[in-house]
Amino acid sequence: MALDPVVIKGTRDGITIIIERYGDFERVKNFIYEKLESGKDFFAGGTARVKVKNGFLSDEEYMKLEQLLKNYNMSLKKQPYPRSYIFPEQYRSPILLLKRTIRSGQKISYKGTVVILGDVNPGSEVVACGDILVMGVLRGMAHAGADGDISAIVAAFRLQPTQLRIAGVISRPPEEKQEVPRFPEVARLKDKTIVIEPYYQLNFNSIKRKQEGIK
Amino acid sequence: MSQVLVITSGKGGVGKTTTTANIGTGLALYKQRKVVMVDADIGLRNLDVVMGLENRIVYDLVDVTHGLCRLKQALIRDKRFENLYLLPAAQTKDKTAVTPEQMEKLCDELRKEFDYVLIDCPAGIEQGFKNAIAGADKAIIVTTPEVSAVRDADRIVGLLEASGFEEPKLLINRIRPDMVKRGDMMSIDDMIDILAIELLGVVPEDEKIVVSTNRGEPAVADESSRAGQAYRNITRRIEGEEVPLMTLEEVEPTFMDKLRMLFGLKNRTAKGDGAKWTF
Ligand SMILES: Nc1ncnc2c1ncn2[C@@H]1O[C@H](COP(=O)(O)OP(=O)(O)O)[C@@H](O)[C@H]1O
Ligand SMILES: [Mg+2]
Repeated sequence: MALDPVVIKGTRDGITIIIERYGDFERVKNFIYEKLESGKDFFAGGTARVKVKNGFLSDEEYMKLEQLLKNYNMSLKKQPYPRSYIFPEQYRSPILLLKRTIRSGQKISYKGTVVILGDVNPGSEVVACGDILVMGVLRGMAHAGADGDISAIVAAFRLQPTQLRIAGVISRPPEEKQEVPRFPEVARLKDKTIVIEPYYQLNFNSIKRKQEGIK
Repeated sequence: MSQVLVITSGKGGVGKTTTTANIGTGLALYKQRKVVMVDADIGLRNLDVVMGLENRIVYDLVDVTHGLCRLKQALIRDKRFENLYLLPAAQTKDKTAVTPEQMEKLCDELRKEFDYVLIDCPAGIEQGFKNAIAGADKAIIVTTPEVSAVRDADRIVGLLEASGFEEPKLLINRIRPDMVKRGDMMSIDDMIDILAIELLGVVPEDEKIVVSTNRGEPAVADESSRAGQAYRNITRRIEGEEVPLMTLEEVEPTFMDKLRMLFGLKNRTAKGDGAKWTF
């Protein structure tokens, strides 16, 4: 679910711009620009107030915003410091840390990312809207990106699940008995199939990519 | 300082009653402890049969909790083993006849009189299980080397942890070394890997258990029984003695096992690349 970076509310003498600050400023500015442009007559004139959630605006950004508003005959109401409102709540990906083994019959459901310092045993379930990270052996069922995030991953020190799900894709290990890899692995979606890759390989690739970028 | 131990498993028929009878007898016979075995499997009693005390039942656990008799009247003293007592379960009433609070009260009363209170738990995770664990300090979880039994044992460990039990101990029953050797049975390592709790002991599959059960004479008292030997060791461990685990003395390790032990390896080899799973 992509949240709008900005919410504009009408007030008695103008508007209040509420900025959810977790993206870059350009995106925020563009969003405000589009809003103002689409409601030109409606927004013309008056005072604008700015509230920032999850972060703050630099003086430079503040000035840019003032400039933008001027085009619509709006004055940015000067506010005494602090201009930012930092909310303690996390918006994006809250993390649930469980320092125990999830045993048969137990089910963990969480709207964010789940990190387990322990095993996930057969007969148990872990369902997360974000990623799932198991620092022990994952033998139960794990469902990452449960509300549709196809970029979600399942990573485990030992990945031996009874079943894996990422977003809407379900996968299970091969029927025939296989040797169990003795290294950490990561499961993710690639072309609508779940692929399992050694963690070190994944790491290696990203390092390589970075190095190539530098060249 | 007396202890209340519950013997539980989740799955039925894995050896809870056998274990209760043997540990109880072992503690009374070899350690001269005053022991009472409580049959909490109400409606499905058989601890009295395994102990050969069926014909001496007058009152039962439900009668005691309902105040129909005094505790002392319901306790059956085993004439063969000094200091060994049984509080039988009612055959006719069902598990809801007792509440966890009543069980807790009962255990505290027994605690005053006995060194050990052993509770034989019914299978399942419902009312009967809740009753059986209500008054207990510690838990022994019995499993057999079967996937379903281990799964249920794991469930029980989770439930015990949730009700505040610390460090339940594992008893693996009916292991068959020959089958483990052939790879046809879960090994001790496999089970401990999953359950991750301390191993109290390993009891091998033994015909003598069947014979002794039918005779009403616990195998622990039979010097020639291998299962009896395992239970004698377990008895000593409960008493705090360091006794090497049965694995090596009972279960002859294979050549490969020895190699693995030598190199500290398990029965797995690394695979080169990640497998692509299919839908
Ligand atoms: N180590 C063993 N070797 C052979 N038979 C066993 C062993 N342990 C238990 N049994 C048999 O398994 C059956 C179930 O045991 P029991 O103790 O009644 O299980 P539970 O109380 O868990 O239901 C009984 O017939 C018993 O004789
Ligand atoms: Mg039983």
